[in-house]
Amino acid sequence: AGLRCQLYAPQRALRTSAALRRASEEHRKEPNSQQHFDPHPAEPPPEREAQGPSPSSTGQGGQESEDYESEEQLQHRILTAAMEFVPEHGWTAEAIAEGAKTLGLSPAAAGMFHTDGSELILHFVSQCNTKLTDLLEQEQKLVQLGEAEKKPTDQFLRDAVEARLRMLIPYIEKWPQAVSILLLPHNIPSSLSLLSSMIDDIWHYAGDQSTDFNWYTRRAVLTGIYNTTELVMMQDTSPDFEDTWRFLANRVADAMNMGDAAKQVQSTGAALAQGLMGAAVTISNLTGLNQRR
Amino acid sequence: VHQVFENVAEKYDVMNDSMSLGIHRLWKDILVRKMNPSPGTLLVDVAGGTGDIAFRFINYVRSVRGRQLQQKLKRHQNLSWQEISKSYQEEKTNPLGDSQVVVCDINKEMLKVGKQKAQHLGYSEGLSWVLGNAEELPFDDDKFDVYTIAFGIRNVTRIDLALEEAYRVLKPGGRFLCLEFSHVSNPLLSRLYDLYSFQVIPVLGEVIAGDWKSYQYLVESIRRFPPQEELKAMMEDAGFFKVDYQNLNGGIVAIHSGFKL
Repeated sequence: AGLRCQLYAPQRALRTSAALRRASEEHRKEPNSQQHFDPHPAEPPPEREAQGPSPSSTGQGGQESEDYESEEQLQHRILTAAMEFVPEHGWTAEAIAEGAKTLGLSPAAAGMFHTDGSELILHFVSQCNTKLTDLLEQEQKLVQLGEAEKKPTDQFLRDAVEARLRMLIPYIEKWPQAVSILLLPHNIPSSLSLLSSMIDDIWHYAGDQSTDFNWYTRRAVLTGIYNTTELVMMQDTSPDFEDTWRFLANRVADAMNMGDAAKQVQSTGAALAQGLMGAAVTISNLTGLNQRR
Repeated sequence: VHQVFENVAEKYDVMNDSMSLGIHRLWKDILVRKMNPSPGTLLVDVAGGTGDIAFRFINYVRSVRGRQLQQKLKRHQNLSWQEISKSYQEEKTNPLGDSQVVVCDINKEMLKVGKQKAQHLGYSEGLSWVLGNAEELPFDDDKFDVYTIAFGIRNVTRIDLALEEAYRVLKPGGRFLCLEFSHVSNPLLSRLYDLYSFQVIPVLGEVIAGDWKSYQYLVESIRRFPPQEELKAMMEDAGFFKVDYQNLNGGIVAIHSGFKL
């Protein structure tokens, strides 16, 4: 028992679990209480393991524990099941309770999560981000295989943000509520980190290789575009959110122009400086300060 | 144990109020709020004698149910008169939304007092009173959504057996909640608490209930009870997952929660 474990609840061999089941078994509506293995509860106290969600090898009675899912995986499954009840109940414990019921668990299992629904929202956001990453990965593969054209940056950004925002459409009515919950102080670290890693991914697939200050500006710009478009989308009533996509296209175009404008400003600055120099020389000539003897 | 509670049954509530200065009500409120039951939940309240938790549960569920029905009405903008009257009827005939609570206690006297209280306060539906031993519950497996035991588990001789029984009668996904006096870690608070417990409480017992010995037994049983971490380990041994505890009032009382997964 010398292993220190950061987790509050130890991950341990899931022996006599009724609902946590083998990862290989697929759709079981009935919780299987016949899978009671003999390990007696009075056996050596559960070891603490500092492992990730999938217990690969455990200290005691390891023969059946390899395939069981962990508590976290079960929680993920409950949250995923809860998603279909969100349009009706919002991001609340009720939705989670309904989700638990579809998995054959008692609705009391919703007590595992916060009552404000934070975990549900964070779970949804992280799932959307994963889907987006998969989508971008697939597109990249197609480009590499030569089956598709490489998109210009602005088109790429537009498509990526649109794809990601479209995932919100089924839940758009309750989305404002979700955004406000994500802004709660105790949620901000997680929601910010999810947002920034998503923006990172998009730029990565857009082919951004910069290592200088541009890295920050690009991230900041895209974050701004994403957030403002999201806000617009929440109030958009046009068919299939056309207004939102148009807004998005304009913002991306602005961002692209900003890059050009910066260069223009630089060259204009240089031209201006030269003009001023010229003017100064002329004036000094006229006033006789530059007299050559 | 049986003897103690037979003597104590009548005056139980009064003693609770005086000993904890009425704070026990808050503790029980916090327990039910933490439970956050939805309508349709089946609760078994073990060692729940006089029904405190049961009544709070019923109140909570009733208000949640009322809110649910209200929201349902709000959502539908064009309801026919038939639908509106149907939903009002639903509220009347099914105010609890099929939630039920079974109060189980080892002591007949406590149950009697509980039933009287229920009648007096007007609770009729959704309540059942069962005589039973926490170490050997007279229920089938996988029956209940939530199992609570408030200030009762320290009176159980074999806590591990009680935990195992709790595990057995809970449905998968069900929750175990235990409200109990526990270990105070803060030394200053601990000293004050000890002083209060050993000097004041037996005296109150004698004055109010005429029974010094029972209340001394009470205070000693609190000291003997395993501290938070140990109870947590025992729960894990019985098979509960996501076991966690919340200290109230610095550890004087703790709520332990675990899930049957």
